[in-house]
Amino acid sequence: MFCVNCGSRLVADGRFCTGCGAPAASGPSAPVVEPPVAAVPVAGPPPSVVRPVPQPAAPPAEVPVRATRCSWCGSPLDASATSCPGCGGKVTEMAVATRSGWLQLPGRKDMAKLQFGQSTCQIEGLYVPVADMNLAAGDSVYFAHHVLLWKDPATEVTTMPLKGAWKRMFAGMPLIMTQAAGPGHIAFSRDAPGELIAVPLHPGQSVDVREHLFLTATGNVVYDWFQTGVWFRTKNGDDTETHYPVGAFMDRFSGTGQPGLLLLHASGNVFVRNLGPGETMLVKPTALIFKDPAVEMHLHFEHPQTGFMAWGSWSNRYVWLRVVGPGRVAVQSVFEHMHGEGSYIQGFSYATERRW
Amino acid sequence: MSTPQAEQFERLQCQWCQSLNEKSALACGSCGAPLDVRNLVSESGWREAPRIRDMTEIHFSSSTCQVEGEIVPVAEINLSPGDAIFFEHHVMLWKDDTVPLTLMALSGGLKRAFGGMPFLISVATGPGRIAFSRDATGELVVLPLHPGMEIDVREHAFLLSSHQIQYSFVRIKGLANILFGGQGMYMDRFVTAGSPGLLILHGYGNVFERVLKAGESIMLEPGAFLYKDSSVTMDVEFQKLGTGFFGGATMSLARVTGPGRVGIQSMYVHHKTE
Repeated sequence: MFCVNCGSRLVADGRFCTGCGAPAASGPSAPVVEPPVAAVPVAGPPPSVVRPVPQPAAPPAEVPVRATRCSWCGSPLDASATSCPGCGGKVTEMAVATRSGWLQLPGRKDMAKLQFGQSTCQIEGLYVPVADMNLAAGDSVYFAHHVLLWKDPATEVTTMPLKGAWKRMFAGMPLIMTQAAGPGHIAFSRDAPGELIAVPLHPGQSVDVREHLFLTATGNVVYDWFQTGVWFRTKNGDDTETHYPVGAFMDRFSGTGQPGLLLLHASGNVFVRNLGPGETMLVKPTALIFKDPAVEMHLHFEHPQTGFMAWGSWSNRYVWLRVVGPGRVAVQSVFEHMHGEGSYIQGFSYATERRW
Repeated sequence: MSTPQAEQFERLQCQWCQSLNEKSALACGSCGAPLDVRNLVSESGWREAPRIRDMTEIHFSSSTCQVEGEIVPVAEINLSPGDAIFFEHHVMLWKDDTVPLTLMALSGGLKRAFGGMPFLISVATGPGRIAFSRDATGELVVLPLHPGMEIDVREHAFLLSSHQIQYSFVRIKGLANILFGGQGMYMDRFVTAGSPGLLILHGYGNVFERVLKAGESIMLEPGAFLYKDSSVTMDVEFQKLGTGFFGGATMSLARVTGPGRVGIQSMYVHHKTE
């Protein structure tokens, strides 16, 4: 027997495909792609969309309800849709979770189309994906520096001033955001192999993103930033250096009156998990992509047990970021090397520690 | 695919690591290679390291390793009590906070420090979960080591190794001039003693392997070298590139001579010559 989704050979009595995680169909040829909604009236809207689902700021349901809501972003789905209009994830794909509970970003078909306002965004390529926007008149997007790949000559690009320019300049953050208004095409990409993460923001929902991962957001998404308050200081001779393992500042994006779309670019593969209240996890600080604002984070120092004398500079061998639920946390599999890890740490923001 | 003898016992032999698997298995239980993969060999004899399917599980001792993601794969280890793995710095992605960490001191610490190698190796002990990845696009190369095997690996290429494997390092004299300007080059050497173990490397780009016959040799860009059996020798040779004018340039290549396996990576570290 073979998987109806990816074509892998199935284990005789397996309930799920080991190739893609899709449930094994019980019948010989009963594809689980679409529930049998026979003869949807052509004129009227599909019944599954009509159902009112007011759910402000609710995190997406972890258990996917096939063909009504997307397992990744919670957008309502049309029964006939093959990919989610909110995030581009394949509808046939179950949320694939690792044994330890990290959800993998749902598989996305090449050329998947997302919808926002009257505009669409097509995501092209699977290695270094491009977000290709077709902006309708009246819709706009803003984007970070150095991500613009191409645009129509007619697409209007203006700048959007940001508050706190002076402080942002010192922190190495972009001083101005660039804004593009429809009608016209404009496309964005980043310079590293990785995944494009579509984060639809429902009204009232916010997400905190580590700096330099932001690609673009629709005009109705509010952009703000805050100090992370996560730092440590090392001393080398007479030089003291302050390190910000998750950056000195973090971006916060919030949905306003109408649903907005946020696109992030992560290097490598992306994994997300929903932490329960009080549940904690140690993650590499530079691997963090985003978190819900309810998720707390602070430093955690781990001192491995040594069979021999540990001298000063080994005092903080591992610098972790401890994230505490409730809420979502996403990590990327490529992380930059962290500076200062393993050197003598003089001062630091609130931290927990563990000596083995 | 499988040998006729293996067919009788209803076992699938993995073409990558030669382990025998259940007939219903989709991926090799020892190295994760997809079992229906054809043994693809390029015309010049290079075999592509198997692209491990997303979410494949690999077993070693009584622990498991799940390989997740296809751009920059993550090795997620579920350690059972009594099992341990060791690894270099800067490769841990996340861990349960209950997994104990210890440090393993290595001999030749000072020499290693000069060679730019880590001289402390961290050890994580079960039970618990811990995950690893590296900083660039590439492949995980899963090398199950059977007893008596010896493998030499490019420094910093090793991601993790199970505790049954002994870790040491060797100095390659011939490469001294190219790589570290006279300070010598060190390679990691992994040796299995009594019981089999699991070694996972991370290669940049794609990884290819080739089995050299005794005396057969091939010239490699030194930065592309990833691993070799310890029976394979490696020496540097300089090649004069004449321009027809005065001077000209010198190119250094590593001559790798069999018998044994040699593995290379397609995205290589280029070492500038003077």
